[in-house]
Amino acid sequence: MQMKSFMPDMVRFELEDIVGRENVSTAAAERKTYSVDYFWLSRMWQDRGAEGPLPDIVVRPGSTEEVSRVLKVANYYKIPVHTWGGGSGSQGGALPMAGGILLDMKRMNRLIALDENAHSITAEAGMIFQQLEWYANERGYSCMHIPSCLTCGTIGGALGHRGIGIFSTKYGKIDDQCMSMEVVLPNGDVINTLPVPKHAAGPDLNQIFIGSEGTLGVITRATFRLFEQPECRKHRAFLFPSMAEGLAAGRDIMQKCQPSIMRLFDEAETVSIIKKIIGVEEKGAFMNLSLEGIERIVDIEMEMVLEICQRHGARDMGADYGEKWFQNRITFFYPDHIMDIPQMFGTMDTVADFSRIEEIYWAMKNAIESNFEGVRFIAHCSHWYGWGTMIYDRFIMDDPPEDKEEALRLHNRIWNAGVRAAMAHGGVINDHHGIGLKLSRLMKEQYGPAFQVMEGLKKSLDPNGIMNPYKLGL
Amino acid sequence: MMTQNALRHADKCRFCWMCRHLCPVQLVTGKELNTPRAKGLLLSMNARGTAEFDPDMAAAMYECLLCDACTNDCATGYQPPLFIREARTEAVVNGAAPETVMKLIGSIEATGSIYGAPKPSFAQEGSEVLVYIGEAAACRAPAMARSLLALLAKAGVSARVLEDEPASGAMLADLEGYTEDVRRQAAACAGALNAAGLPTVVVLDSYDAEIIKQHYAEWGCGIGAEVVTATAFAARLLADGRLPAKPANGIKAACHDDDRLARSLYELEPVRALAKAAGYELCEMFNHGRLAKSCGTALALEYMPDITARVAAARWDDLARTGAKVLLTASPQAYLCLGQAVPEGCELVDLFEALL
Repeated sequence: MQMKSFMPDMVRFELEDIVGRENVSTAAAERKTYSVDYFWLSRMWQDRGAEGPLPDIVVRPGSTEEVSRVLKVANYYKIPVHTWGGGSGSQGGALPMAGGILLDMKRMNRLIALDENAHSITAEAGMIFQQLEWYANERGYSCMHIPSCLTCGTIGGALGHRGIGIFSTKYGKIDDQCMSMEVVLPNGDVINTLPVPKHAAGPDLNQIFIGSEGTLGVITRATFRLFEQPECRKHRAFLFPSMAEGLAAGRDIMQKCQPSIMRLFDEAETVSIIKKIIGVEEKGAFMNLSLEGIERIVDIEMEMVLEICQRHGARDMGADYGEKWFQNRITFFYPDHIMDIPQMFGTMDTVADFSRIEEIYWAMKNAIESNFEGVRFIAHCSHWYGWGTMIYDRFIMDDPPEDKEEALRLHNRIWNAGVRAAMAHGGVINDHHGIGLKLSRLMKEQYGPAFQVMEGLKKSLDPNGIMNPYKLGL
Repeated sequence: MMTQNALRHADKCRFCWMCRHLCPVQLVTGKELNTPRAKGLLLSMNARGTAEFDPDMAAAMYECLLCDACTNDCATGYQPPLFIREARTEAVVNGAAPETVMKLIGSIEATGSIYGAPKPSFAQEGSEVLVYIGEAAACRAPAMARSLLALLAKAGVSARVLEDEPASGAMLADLEGYTEDVRRQAAACAGALNAAGLPTVVVLDSYDAEIIKQHYAEWGCGIGAEVVTATAFAARLLADGRLPAKPANGIKAACHDDDRLARSLYELEPVRALAKAAGYELCEMFNHGRLAKSCGTALALEYMPDITARVAAARWDDLARTGAKVLLTASPQAYLCLGQAVPEGCELVDLFEALL
C-alpha cells in the first residue's frame, strides 16, 4: 500500500499535532543532515557526491508522551521509525535506510534527578552524555562513562549500542552502569524496567533493551550509577617486547588489580599512532595504564602492576607517557588526528577470552593483510574484563577505489574476512561499537540458532517491523 | 562563492561530531541541523552538487550565535564560524537569507542601525579617553551606557563620547560576513575614532571591541590609540585606586563571561575584579571562562527572538544550579539577552552600576 495524493500531508499534520509544527520538518536541508553518520560508507557516499539515505520526515519529540503518540501514528500507518541521538555511531545504526520518520531525540535533554543518597542520576535519553557528566561533576561525582564520543553521543545512543568508556575496566560498560530505563514500545506503550538492576525477578529487562539499537523501542529516560571522584589517579606506561607479553601481563593484572585504564597497542599501532600523538619513538608493544581511587590502595596496586609487567619483560617508561596519553585521549578523534576520507578504514572491535584473544589477533591480521593488498592492520586492547579483553583492531587503506560501488564492495569484503576470522576462532563480533547496518548481515552467523530468541522478541514487540529496519540483523 | 579556505574547514567539520555539546543553539532546539558538523556537511554537499543552497539551508546558517564555543573546543583548530559566516554572505548575495535577516540589513542600509533609527546620542566632551558606546548599548541597554559613563566620572576620568558615533561593522559582519560593506563601515568608524585624537578608546560592547581590535588593522584601518574594553579599563581604574571597592555585601553571585570577552579577547579576570570590588561573594557556574555558554546576542534577539530567549533561559538554569540568585555582567548584549529571561527571585546586575 502506498500513500498517494495529500495522504503524506495528512500524516504530517498528525505528527505536527503531537510535537508542534516547529518540530516537524520535511525540508531537504534538514533531512540531508541525517544521511551521514560516523559509518565510513555513509561518509564515502557523501564524499563521492552521492545521495545518502534520507528520511521522509524529521520529528523532534519533547517528551515521553510525544514519543509514545508518534510511535502509535507510525505503527498505524506502518511507517519506519529511525531513532537518532547524536548520530555519532560508527556502524550506520542510526541511518534512515528505510526512509520514513527520523526521530531526533535531542530535545529530550532534561536532567530529572540527582540522588546523592542512592548515588544515581536520571535524565532524558536525548541528553548528550557530556552534559550528564557535567551535571554529575557539578556535585562532585562522575558517571565514569567517558567514551571518545562523550561530547557527541547521547544517553540513548550509548545505551542503544552498548557503549563503553575509557574507564570501563574499573567502572564497567554502560550496561553495568545503567540502573533502570523508561522505554516506549513500538505500539506506543510506555514501560519501565525494574528500579534496580540486580534482582531475581526474572530476566533483566534492561539487558533486553540495552544494545537493541532502536529495533525494539525507544529509550526515553535512564538512571545511572554515580561514582565519587577518585582521591587520586596515577598513570604509568610500559613497553613490552610484543603483544603476546603485553596480553599475558594484562591478564595477570586483571586477577590482582582493577586499573581504570589499560591500553595495550600492537607493534604496528605503537610505531604509527602512538608515535604521532604521544611521541614514543620505540618499537614494541606500548601499554598505558591508570589506577585510581584511594591513594593508599592505588600505591599498592601500582607496586603489583610494576611487578607483573617486569615479570613479563616490560620496560617501565614511567608516568609521563601515561599522563600524556590521558591528556590526549580525545585529541585522537579530532580531524587530522584520526583516519579520514579519502582513506578507507574500519574498527572491527572483537572481544574474546584470554585463551583465544591472541590467536584471534593473528587470525584477523592475517585474514586482512594477506588477502587485501595495500591494507594495513593495527590494533590495541583497550577494555579488559576478568576473563578476557577486546581488540580494537582497525584496517586502513590509503587509496581505496574511486568508484563508490566498488569501494563499498571492497569495504564489505574486508569486514567479512576480518569478522569471520574472529568468529572462527571464538571471538564475538563486537565489544562496544554495536552492530548497526555494518554488521547486520553477520548476526545470524554469530548467533546461529540462538538468534531466534531475538527474532522472537522483535516479532512480538514490533510486529509491523517499523523500528529501525535493516539493523542488528532484525 | 565561498573561499577554498572556508570550504576546507567545512569539509573537515562535516565528519566531526566533537563540539556539538557546546553549541547553545543546538542544546535548546535539539536540531541536528544546528550542530557545526551539520552546517559543514550541508556546505560540503552543496560544493559537491548534492544539496541546493536554498532558503532552508540559508536559514540554518543563521541559527547560530557565532559564539565560537565550537572553535574554542577544536583540538585541531578548525573554525565553524568561518564557513558559517561565509555562507551568510552567500545567502545574502543569492537572496536566500531569511526575510528577518534581510530586513535588518535593510535597516542598516537605511539608518545605519539594525534598530531602524539613528543611535541615541550620549555625546559628551572629555580629554582623557574616547568611549565607544556601540549600537546595542545605545539603543537597547542605555542604562548600562549611562552607568559606565557615570563610573568613569566617579573615577575622575575625562571621557568623550562622539556626537555621531559610526557603527563598528560588528552587526553587519554577523549578518552578511566580512563584506566590502562591512569594511566600509569599519573604515568610517576607524576614521572617526582616530580623528578624536585621544590616546585611549574604551569600548563598552565586546562585540565592537573584537572587530575593532582584531580586524581593523587587517583591513588597513587600524586605530592609532590604545583600544581597551570597558571591563578591562574599569578593572584598571580599580587597580590604580581611582575607583574604591565596596564593602562585602554577602550576596552570592556569578559572572557571565560573554562570548567575545571569553573566547576572542580572552578577558576573564577584569569582570571578576569588578564583581569582587562591587562586594559580591563570587561563585562560578560550572561552564565558565572559555567554556562559558552563550546567552545570546543583541542581533540574534532581533531575528530569532524565541531561540535567543531559550538560550538566555538556559544560562539562568546554569546559575540556578550554583545556588546563587544574582548574575553579574558588564556586557550590554548579555545584559539585554539575559534581561529577557530573568527568573522569578533572581536578579541581573549591571556591574558598572553596582560599582557606582
